[in-house]
This record gives sequence, structure tokens and C-alpha cells, in this order.
Amino acid sequence: MTNGIDVERVNGIDVLTLRGEHDLSTATDVSRRIDLALESAPGLAIDLSETTFMDSAVLRVLITAQERANERGAGFAIAVADSSGHGVHRLLTLTGLDAKLSTQPSRADAIAAAAAS
Amino acid sequence: METVSERVEIEMAAAASGVPLVRHALRGLLTGLGVPDDVIADITLAVTEACTNAVVHAYPNGGGTINVTASHLGGELEVAVRDHGGGMAPRVDTPGLGVGLPVIAAIARSVVIGSPEDGGTEVRMQFALRTAVG
Repeated sequence: MTNGIDVERVNGIDVLTLRGEHDLSTATDVSRRIDLALESAPGLAIDLSETTFMDSAVLRVLITAQERANERGAGFAIAVADSSGHGVHRLLTLTGLDAKLSTQPSRADAIAAAAAS
Repeated sequence: METVSERVEIEMAAAASGVPLVRHALRGLLTGLGVPDDVIADITLAVTEACTNAVVHAYPNGGGTINVTASHLGGELEVAVRDHGGGMAPRVDTPGLGVGLPVIAAIARSVVIGSPEDGGTEVRMQFALRTAVG
């Protein structure tokens, strides 16, 4: 598989890694995995450091995830790293959501931030 | 001045699974043309948004096809995404973010949305290939 969704528990929280390309074809799966994580974990970190492509369908899922995490009082952070695809950065900048989403510059930083809350 | 041109035509079922296939085909063409990675990222994002719009909005009762045509001439790429469905009606209950068209407009040199005589909607985007956009 060139793309996938990995879920692991690290430091007591769930870490969801979006590997490869994600768009409308994977958005429902991503959303489902996020829902499962938020039901059972005190925090969620979404790792986009291995995401090579992301569009607004997936971005909407991430925004909803942040809102739901905040409602539940769960820790939440999204890792957007230098290794994330150019298009990932581009989409976040174009939509202004790089300022509104709880992003961290690395996977480790996102895990620490989500675990701390 | 380059006179050689290439054209890639793809027909996909109006389903989410077709969106990455169009992107891979387009990326293959652009990689073959030696387009820089950041320009490829921009173009594939814009075209993905246009294809997603067609999948989500054109055929509310399912079915239908979407035609994507990518034409390269000189330093420009024109990509047309055409559906034969109900057109692009504004929706306050859109399942998406509602940012697809603004994203396309920010990336493409120009975007024209038309209603062809034989029905449906066509989104025609022009991209400059030589330098990064924006």
C-alpha cells in the first residue's frame, strides 16, 4: 500500500499517522479512526509528517476532529513537519488554517502536546 | 517556442476512488514533462479539488461519469474537469469545507466554470508550468 492510516498508543494517547496520499477516497476511513480514538483515548495526535498529499475533504475531517477533541476536553495536536508534502503546507496556508489548527512542527512535539493536556 | 503538445484524457466513474487515479495520471504526465515538484503539488491539489466537487455534487442519485482532459502546450497546462450531471448548485449543507473553488482560483492562472450546451458543468483551469505559482 502506498498510503495508509496507522493507529498506535504512545505515552497514553492515540497517535494517528496518515501515510502517503489522502483525499475523498480515504476521508471516511480517517474520520472513522478519529472517532474511535476520541472515544477511548484521553488525547489524540494526528501525524501528517508522512502525508504526501492532502485535500480539503481530509482537512474538514481534521477540523471536526479538533472541535470534537476540544468538546471532550481531550488533548489534541496535528504534526505538520518539513517532511510533510509541499501540498499539505500549501493547503493549510491557502485556507489560513495553519493559524487555526493546533499544529506542531514534529511528530514528537504533537505527541507531547496531546499528552500534556 | 515549443510546438509539441501532449493531451491526456481520463474518464472516471463519479466515485471517490477515481480521484486519486486522476491525480496519479496527471502527476505522471507532469513528472514526465520535468515540471518542478512544488508546481506539480499545486496543480494536483487544484485538480483533485475540481474532481472532488464533481464527485460530490454532480450526481446526487449516484452513477455518472467525469471526464478529465489535460492538455500541454508550451509552458501551459490546461485541465478541464467535465461532468454531465446536475450542474454546480450552491449548497449550504455541503459535505465538504466549501473551499475547493477558492483553492483552485488561488493556484490556477485562470479558472472558467461553464455550462456546456449538452449539459453538466465544466471547470477549465489554466496552469503555468515554468515557475511555481503564487
